[in-house]
Amino acid sequence: MCGIAGIMYKKSRSRGLAPVGDQLVKMLETMVHRGHDSAGVTVAGESLKSDLLIRIWADESVPAEATISQAKETVMRAGGAIVSAETQDSYLRLAVNYEGDVPRLAEALLQTPGVVLHSIGETSEVIKDVGTPVVMDARHGISKISGTHGVGHVRMATESKIDISHAHPFWAYPFTDVTVVHNGQLTNYHGMKREYESQGHHFQTENDSELIAVYLADKLALGVDLNTALEASLDDLDGTFTYLVSTRDGMGYAKDRWSAKPLVLMETDSVVALASEEVALRSVFTEELDRTEPQEHEVMTWSA
Amino acid sequence: MNRSIKAAVAEGVDEIVIKNPAARHNIAVGIRQSCKIMIEGSVGYYTASQLDGPEVSIVGNAGWALGENLMSGKITLSKNAGASVGASMRGGEMFVGGSAGARAGISMKGGTLLIGGDSGFLTGFMMQKGRIIVCGSVGDAAGDSMYEGTIYVGADVGSLGADAKYEEPTEDELIELWAELQRSGVDGKPRFRKIVSQKKLYHYDTLERLERTLI
Repeated sequence: MCGIAGIMYKKSRSRGLAPVGDQLVKMLETMVHRGHDSAGVTVAGESLKSDLLIRIWADESVPAEATISQAKETVMRAGGAIVSAETQDSYLRLAVNYEGDVPRLAEALLQTPGVVLHSIGETSEVIKDVGTPVVMDARHGISKISGTHGVGHVRMATESKIDISHAHPFWAYPFTDVTVVHNGQLTNYHGMKREYESQGHHFQTENDSELIAVYLADKLALGVDLNTALEASLDDLDGTFTYLVSTRDGMGYAKDRWSAKPLVLMETDSVVALASEEVALRSVFTEELDRTEPQEHEVMTWSA
Repeated sequence: MNRSIKAAVAEGVDEIVIKNPAARHNIAVGIRQSCKIMIEGSVGYYTASQLDGPEVSIVGNAGWALGENLMSGKITLSKNAGASVGASMRGGEMFVGGSAGARAGISMKGGTLLIGGDSGFLTGFMMQKGRIIVCGSVGDAAGDSMYEGTIYVGADVGSLGADAKYEEPTEDELIELWAELQRSGVDGKPRFRKIVSQKKLYHYDTLERLERTLI
């Protein structure tokens, strides 16, 4: 069992950014009974003063300081100009001006010893950690981040180990700003993973949910639009899943043919919010609200 | 909260109002004495589950497994219910004013589940007794693997589940169904379709196959 949440302010580009980080933390903390092994969020649409935002975790296979130092060097060698570099324990947040090929930069970073690449975004970043959302927020200051939209996850580990990299969201390497949170288990994970690896796709973890991110990345690379990619996943992925995807300027969900995992949806003219449980929506929207429950074999997408 | 409700009922309180439930879970669970409980607002999972006797009225939506294992009494929900409404209910009445999610009445063993709107995938999955009345449409696999019991559908059926079949309802059945709808405040007289078990998937043998070979 895991909990997922997503929120999007439809007109925030014209009306100003919304407290997306704070609201995701609130929604996730309300669902912490669904999983307290790890937590994570993607906040999208931030006001950035750089081309790219890179989120790295030093996996401590080598000393974290060395990994962080080498990651910065890698970015500069690839032609990136570092605008700012913030470190928090083993985490590195780099704001970078970069006009080159993002997959090439990502590949160079992945070759750097100790680097685990959580995200590269033009408008978004992935922040994830072990423990509960409140603990994560205290360490990373998520509730101070504003944006247009975002998704989040609390994890009860069932398929793979508990560590920072196995936490959600998963970034759809190497597509900037495409990230996924998933509740469920994929039963054709190993076969599809082998197939994608043979085609040159990268997996950074043993978590079955990472497959969804890679799957969507593969579809998007072929020029498929997000809604069509989500629809195709309903038949290509086997097992149980309700997942949310956040993109540069959009958000969507896909729900399996068994309707096995919960999701409630609330939508007004200005905001759309989704969560595994209504109680999470009520942590942000305190008034009685109209919500629906998406049914089996369904997808839906929105634009910020 | 459930301990407080039980204590109040034990002291003779027969009407309880719960305000601002904020979609929280497990509200009004395990109450086994007659009383009236009004819940003003939407509720979360397992609301009014394991009841034996009370009348519970909810103004709002409900999450998964509303009224799970209802033994007797009545549950009324004004809006939509999540998945598995009335799971394993054995008696009593349940009314959902809006629509229900997947697996409505799963493993139902008695009583009546009346849904004013639609219900989702696997309605009546493995039901063993009782009635599910859906005024709107049902999703795919309706009545899948049902043993006994009846599902009435007022509009469309996505598809029949394994071992389910249609049967023509009698005029008396329809008249009784329409009267029930009227009592619950549902307009219209839909020409209900009736779904029952083909009874080809299971057998009445009391012995397992291995046990039979041993005798």
